[in-house]
Amino acid sequence: MTEKAMLFDTARCTACKGCQVACKCWNNLPSGDGGCADSMDFKGVYQNPADINGTTRLIMTFNEFEAPESQKRMGWAFGRRSCQHCTDAGCVQICPAGALFRDEETGMITHDANKCVGCQYCSTACPYDVPRYDKLAGRPDPVINKCYGCVDRIHNGMAPACVTTCQPGALQFGDRDEMIRLAHEAVDRLQAKGFTDACVYGEEEMGGLHVIQVLKYGIEDHGQVANPKKSVLNTVHDYTAPVVGGIAGLVFLGLAGMTALSAGAEKHDQVIYNPETTDTLDMNTGAVLKHGDGQGTKSFKQYMSQVPIFKKWGEDDHE
Amino acid sequence: MSSHENITVYPEQAQKNAEFIKERKESGKQLRVQRTTKQARITHGTVAISCILLAISGLFVFVPPLTKAVGPDVVFVMRMVHRVVGLIFCLVPIISLIMAPKGALHILKKNLVKWDHDDVMWMKLFLPYLFTCKWLHMPDASETKSGQRVSDGMIILVAILMGVTGLVLTANVVGIITLGITSHAVWLFLHDLGFFAICVLGMAHILLGGGIIGPYRGMHRVMFGDGSLSEGEAMYHWAHWVRKLHKEGSDELYWADAKTTKRIED
Amino acid sequence: MTTHWADMQNADVILNIGSNSAENHPVSSKWLNKAHEKGAIWIVVDPRYTRTAEMADIYCPIRSGTDIAFYGGLYNYMIENLIEPGLYEYMTTGKMDKYNFEYLINYTNASYILEKDYEFDPETGLFSGWDPETETYNSHSWHYETDHEEPWDTSAGGAYAWAVKDGVPQFEKPVLTVPKMDKTLTNPRCVYQVFKQHYSRYTMEKVCEVCGMDIEDLRTVYAAWCTSCAPGKAGAILYALGQTQHTYGAQNTRAMSVLQLLSGNVGVPGGGVCALRGEPNVQGATDMGMLVNEQPAYLKWANTTDRDSLAHWLESQTYSDGYYTNKPKFMVSALKEWYGDNATVKNDYGYDWWPKVPSHDGSDWTEMSSFEKMKDGTIQGYFAWGMNPCHSAPNSSNVRRSMAHLDWNVVVDQVITETASFWDAPDMDATQIGTTCYFLPCALIYEKPGTILNSGRWMQWRYQAVEPWDEAKPDYEICDLLWREICRLYAEEGGANPDPILKMKWDYYLDGKIDPRPVSWALNGYRVKSSDWKSGFESGANGALAAGNVDLLAGYSELGADGSTACGMWIYSGFYANSAAPLDPAQQAIGRRNNKDTSGLGLYSDWAFAWPNNRRIIYNRASADMQGQPWAPDKALVKWDKKAKKWLSGYDNGLDIPDFAASKTLADGTVQAIEPNNKAFFMLWEQNGRLESYGMVDGPLPEHYEPFETPLSENLLNGRLNSPCFLGRPSADGNKELGTMFSLESTRRGSADEFPIVATTYSVTEHWQTGGQTRACPALVEAFPGDMIEMSPELAAEKGIGNGDKVRVWNKRASVVVTAVVTKRVRPLTVNGKTQHLVGMTHHYSWGKLYGNTLQGAVNDLTPNVGDPNSQTPEYKAFLVNIEKA
Repeated sequence: MTEKAMLFDTARCTACKGCQVACKCWNNLPSGDGGCADSMDFKGVYQNPADINGTTRLIMTFNEFEAPESQKRMGWAFGRRSCQHCTDAGCVQICPAGALFRDEETGMITHDANKCVGCQYCSTACPYDVPRYDKLAGRPDPVINKCYGCVDRIHNGMAPACVTTCQPGALQFGDRDEMIRLAHEAVDRLQAKGFTDACVYGEEEMGGLHVIQVLKYGIEDHGQVANPKKSVLNTVHDYTAPVVGGIAGLVFLGLAGMTALSAGAEKHDQVIYNPETTDTLDMNTGAVLKHGDGQGTKSFKQYMSQVPIFKKWGEDDHE
Repeated sequence: MSSHENITVYPEQAQKNAEFIKERKESGKQLRVQRTTKQARITHGTVAISCILLAISGLFVFVPPLTKAVGPDVVFVMRMVHRVVGLIFCLVPIISLIMAPKGALHILKKNLVKWDHDDVMWMKLFLPYLFTCKWLHMPDASETKSGQRVSDGMIILVAILMGVTGLVLTANVVGIITLGITSHAVWLFLHDLGFFAICVLGMAHILLGGGIIGPYRGMHRVMFGDGSLSEGEAMYHWAHWVRKLHKEGSDELYWADAKTTKRIED
Repeated sequence: MTTHWADMQNADVILNIGSNSAENHPVSSKWLNKAHEKGAIWIVVDPRYTRTAEMADIYCPIRSGTDIAFYGGLYNYMIENLIEPGLYEYMTTGKMDKYNFEYLINYTNASYILEKDYEFDPETGLFSGWDPETETYNSHSWHYETDHEEPWDTSAGGAYAWAVKDGVPQFEKPVLTVPKMDKTLTNPRCVYQVFKQHYSRYTMEKVCEVCGMDIEDLRTVYAAWCTSCAPGKAGAILYALGQTQHTYGAQNTRAMSVLQLLSGNVGVPGGGVCALRGEPNVQGATDMGMLVNEQPAYLKWANTTDRDSLAHWLESQTYSDGYYTNKPKFMVSALKEWYGDNATVKNDYGYDWWPKVPSHDGSDWTEMSSFEKMKDGTIQGYFAWGMNPCHSAPNSSNVRRSMAHLDWNVVVDQVITETASFWDAPDMDATQIGTTCYFLPCALIYEKPGTILNSGRWMQWRYQAVEPWDEAKPDYEICDLLWREICRLYAEEGGANPDPILKMKWDYYLDGKIDPRPVSWALNGYRVKSSDWKSGFESGANGALAAGNVDLLAGYSELGADGSTACGMWIYSGFYANSAAPLDPAQQAIGRRNNKDTSGLGLYSDWAFAWPNNRRIIYNRASADMQGQPWAPDKALVKWDKKAKKWLSGYDNGLDIPDFAASKTLADGTVQAIEPNNKAFFMLWEQNGRLESYGMVDGPLPEHYEPFETPLSENLLNGRLNSPCFLGRPSADGNKELGTMFSLESTRRGSADEFPIVATTYSVTEHWQTGGQTRACPALVEAFPGDMIEMSPELAAEKGIGNGDKVRVWNKRASVVVTAVVTKRVRPLTVNGKTQHLVGMTHHYSWGKLYGNTLQGAVNDLTPNVGDPNSQTPEYKAFLVNIEKA
C-alpha cells in the first residue's frame, strides 16, 4: 500500500458536520452526558462542541469575518479540526508506552488506548493541540482519544468514515501524491477566481501531513497553524532519559570505585578534645593533633602529599 | 590531624593532656555529640524514602522500555503511587517547618554562613578526597562542611522544584487547571531536569551521607539512628563545630558509656 | 424537479432562491461543486447569508416573502436588456447570441393571443374575472382566443379510436381549440406583449424598495442570471420551501417556471426548475397523492362539482391534445386496481365508491383546516401517520388545543412525538382531556423493504437491513392489520357505507403475508386477463412465482381505458416490469445498478429508474432547436438524425429517452418517426410552455402581494395588499370568512406597529424537521443542540441581546423562548425607505420528550394558519414578531 492521505477542500465544504457525526457513529463515541456534558447546551454558535474533546475526535470550525472588498461583503470560513497525521509526529516520538504509533503502510498516526498510560506527554508534543483523553474507555485513568485515520477501514479497502459520508466531495481519500495533485488543482482554481490567499496545507508541514487541505481564505481564517513546529523541549525530553541514566550510572560507578578505594581507612573515634588546653588529642598516641581552633595553614599540595603517591608534592612545598 | 603539622608542645601542656587522656580512659565514658533532633530525622527519613519511591515510580513513565514491558495497569498503579507519595514528599517538610520554624531557620543559617579559609580548602580538596579518603585528611569544618552546604542547598532547591512541578502537572492531568501545550511542555521539562539533578545529588548524598564510603561509615546513625556520634567522629568531620560546642558548653555534648555508647544520666 | 441531482453539474448559472441546498439537501453540493469548479456562476438570494451563500459567488439579501417582486424585476430586466434589443435582429436575420429567441417564440405561449377581456388593473391589484361576492376569479378571460376547433378523430384507424372501444366509459370527447397566434410578437394582446406591459412596473428601483436589497447587488444578480439565457447555456433554479410556504407559494413556483421558460432553461441539461424535496421520500409521497385534491399519480379525486361522476371526471380532466389525452386510460386502469373484479364498465369502474370532496360550497378539507374541524366536531378521530402536526403545523399551539376535542387519536411513528403526547404540552391540562390516545410503533426505513424516490424522480429499491425494533411494524403491515379488522367488523356487525370498503381490492399477499412486491406489481400495472391474483402468490426459485401469475406491463403506453389493464400509478409504469422474476427487485428496472455514464452529462440512465419511462430530464425536446439539433452540441439529450430521418436517443447513444412524441404507431402497426416540431411540452394540451396560465385560482401572471403579516401598510406595486384569495383570509368585517374555514384563533393578525420585525423559519442541516429521527440521535443533537433565532448585530444592539442569550419571541398567536445567534450573516434591509429588521428561527425542538434541549412551546406556535389557495401550503416563511431578552 502506498502512502495515503485525506484531502479536505474548504472550497467544497458546506460545514454540514456530516463528518463530525459519522466519526462519532463509526467510533461509537458518546455525546452529551456520555461525553462532554455541556456540549448539549446551545451556546449561540454553529460550532459545537466548542473544541475536540475526549469523546469528539473531529469538529467543524466556523469563522465569520467581514470582507468589504467582495460582493458578498463577508466570508464564512469553515475548518476541519482533527489529527493531521504528521510524518514527523511528535506524539509518537514522545509516547513512552508505545500507545501512539505510525501505521507504516498508510502513514496514519494511530493509537492503542489499551497501551496508553495516560501521561499526556503526547499533548505537549502536538503542534495542533489534538490529543485528548477519554475517561470512559474502560480504563481507570483518562486515556488517549484522537482520530486514528480509520486505518482498520483503510486496510479493508474503505475510506475513513468521515470521507465516506461527505456528500459535497470536500473530503477525499487516496494516495498522498494524488491528493496533493488534486489540492494544487483546487488552489489554482481558487487563485484564478480571486482567492489570493488560497493555499495547500500539509504538503511540507511537520514532514508532510496525511491530511492535505485546500484553504480557500488562507491558513489562519480556517483555524490552521502557520509554520507548525515540534517543540524543542520535546526533543530535549527525548534525550533526558538516556542522559540522566548515563550520568547517574557514571556517578554510581565512581562512587562504587571510591568505596573500594576507601576500604581500610583509619578509624578516627579516638580523637578527643581537651577544653582546658584547647588541644585536639589522639587518645591512643597521646599526640597533640592541633592547638586551638585556628584555620589550617597547609597548602593544597601539602594536603595532597598525605597521599602516598603525592608524597613528593609536600616536600617541594615548604613554607 | 595530620602528623605532618609542626606542633610545638610545652611540657606542662603535655602533662595536662596525658592526665586528661588517662582520666578519660579510666572513666570508661565517652563524650558524644547529639547532631540531629528526632523531628529532623523523621522528616528527613520520610522525605528520603518518598524520594526513592518517587524516583522508582516515575521511571515507569520516564523509561519507555520499562513502560512497555510492564503494561498500562502496572504503570497506572505506579502513577497513583507517584501521586500519593508525591503528596507526602511535599507535605511532610511543610508540616515539619510549621512545627519547628526555628530549626528550619537554623538549617537555612548554617547553609548560608561565610566561607573561611578551611571551607575553601575543603572544597578544593573534595574531588581528590573522594578517591583518596584513606590517606587524605581534610581541613577542619564548621557545623556543615562547605561541600555539604552546596549539596544540601541544591537538594533542597531541587526538591522544591520537583514538588512544585509535580503538583502543577498533576493538577493539569486531573483537570484542576488547564495548561497550554507549550506551558505543559515547559513544566514537564523542568520536572525531567529535576529528576536528572536528583539522580546525581541523591546518589552522592546516599553514598556519602549514608556512610557507605570509608571514612563516612557509621554516619547513618546521624539520620537513621539516634542522631548522635562520638566526639572522635564528630571531630573528624566538623572539628571547628565540636570545639565550638565545647566552648559554649552546649548540651548537645553528653557523656555516654564508652562501650555501649548509651547516655549516662548525671 | 424537471431534472435530477446529477444534472446540476451541467449548469452555467446556479440560482438558489428560497432554498438552502448546501444545508438542507447535502447531496446537491456534490453536483453543484462540480458545476462551480467548471466555471458556473453561483448566486444565492436569501434573507440571510447561509452556508449555501458561503459556497456561492454572489449573495443578495431579500426580505422574506417578496420573491415575485424579484422575479418580476428580472423579467423586466431581461425584456429591456436582452429581448427588446435583439428581437428585431432575430426576426430579420435569425441571429441570436445572447438570448434564445427560437425557444421563446416556438416552445412557449409568448405568441398566443389572449381573450379580448383579459385585463390587469394595477389600481386594484386585480385581474379580470374577479367576483367580489365569492372572492374568487373566473378564469375565462385568461384563456387564449380560438383560431379554429379540431374534434377528436375516433373513427377506426383514427388517433382516438381507442376512446370508443368496448369497455371504455362513455364521455363527451374533448375538442381541440387551436389558439390564435402572432409569431412576430407584435399583437398587443399576445402573451409576450401583455407580459411585457405587466412587468414594466417592476423596475429595479421598485424591486429594491419592496425587497430591501442594494440596487448594485440586484443588478449584479440580474446580469449574472442573464448569461444563462444565451442559446446553449443553462441556468438552474434551486428552490424549496422558501418559495412554496407563502400565501402565494404556488405563484412563486409559477414565477420560477416562467423565468425558466423566458430564459430557455427548461428541458436543457443543467437547467430546469429544481424543487429540492425532503430526504424521507417527499417526492414519492407527492407522487402518491396523499392530498385532498390528488389521488396517486396526479389524477384528481372525485368531487361534488365537475368530477361528480366518471363521465364528468373524464370530460373535465382529459386534455384535447398532448399526452394527457390518455387520461381515461390512466383513470380506468387506476380504478381497476382500486376495485379489481368489482370494477366494471357498467358500474363506472367503481368510481362512485370513491369519497367525493365537497367542492360545491368552497369549503376546505386540507390539513390546514383539519384542526378547526376537530373543534367544531366534524372530525372526531385522527390518524397522524408519519406526521407531527403538533409541532409542524402552523400555530401548533392551536393544533394541540384542537386535538383535545377528539374522541380518539392514533399516532403511527417511531418515537413519541408531540402529536402522540399533545396532552402533555406545558400549557395543556391532561385531566381535562377525554381523548383516547393510541401509539403504533412503526419500522424505520432500514427495517423494511420497499421503494424510495428522490427529488430527481429516481426510484430505487431499498432492501431491508435490520428487523424492526421491538413491536414496530412496517406501515403496510399496520395497514393490513387495520384493514382486516375493519373488514371483519363490517362482516360481523355491518355498518354504514360497506361497499367502498368491502368492494376494494386488497390482495397484496405473498406466501400469505402482506408484501411490498405485489404492491409494486399493482403500481407498475399488469394485464388483467393474463394475471391471476385470485389463487394467491407463492415464492418460487430465482425470483419467479411458484403459484399465481402476474403479466406486468412494459410501460404506461400499454395501458387501456377499457378495463383490460390495471395500474395503480401510471407515472411509475415500467419500473417493475419483468414478469419473469416478479419477486426479485434486482432483476427489475428499479434494481439497476450500472453507474457507467454514457452521456457525459451524468444521466446514468442504467442506474435505477426515473419516472416517467426512465426519462432523466423531462421536457427534453426543448434541449434541441426547431430542427431537432441540440442548442449545445456537447450537451445533447435527444437529436434528430437528418439523414436517417429519426430521433437519436437512449442510453446506448449516450442520450436521454425523448419526453415528447418522437414516433407514432400507424393503424397497420408500423412505427413512424415524427419530424421535429414545436411541441416541446406535451403534458399541456397546447404543448407549449405557459408564460401566462389560466390554471391558477389566484391569477394568470405572478403578481407581487405582501405576506399575510407584512411590515408595509400598502403594496408598493399594486393597489391590493394581500393576495386576493389566499386561504384563511378574514373577511372585511374581520369575523366570518368568505369561502374559508378558520376560526380567528390561529389566524390572529399582528400589525407592524406592534410587531415590527419580519420573521421566517427554516431548518439546519443537522436536523430533520420536527426531529423525530434526528433528535433521537445524540451525535446530531450535539451537532446542533437547540433552536435559534438569528439576528443582525444592529437589531441585537437595539434590543440589548448578546450572542447565546435567551430571547422571547412573540406575536398575536404565541410566545416562545429561543437562543440568540447574533451574526453579520443577517443584515438589516431598507424597505420602502426605512430600515427593516429580519430574524430567522429554526423549528426542530419542542416540548416533546425527545433527546436534547426542549422549549416551552414550539417555534411553529408563532406561525399563522393561512396559506396558498392552489396548494393549501401554509405561510411559514414570512410573518411578524417582536423580540426581547428573556
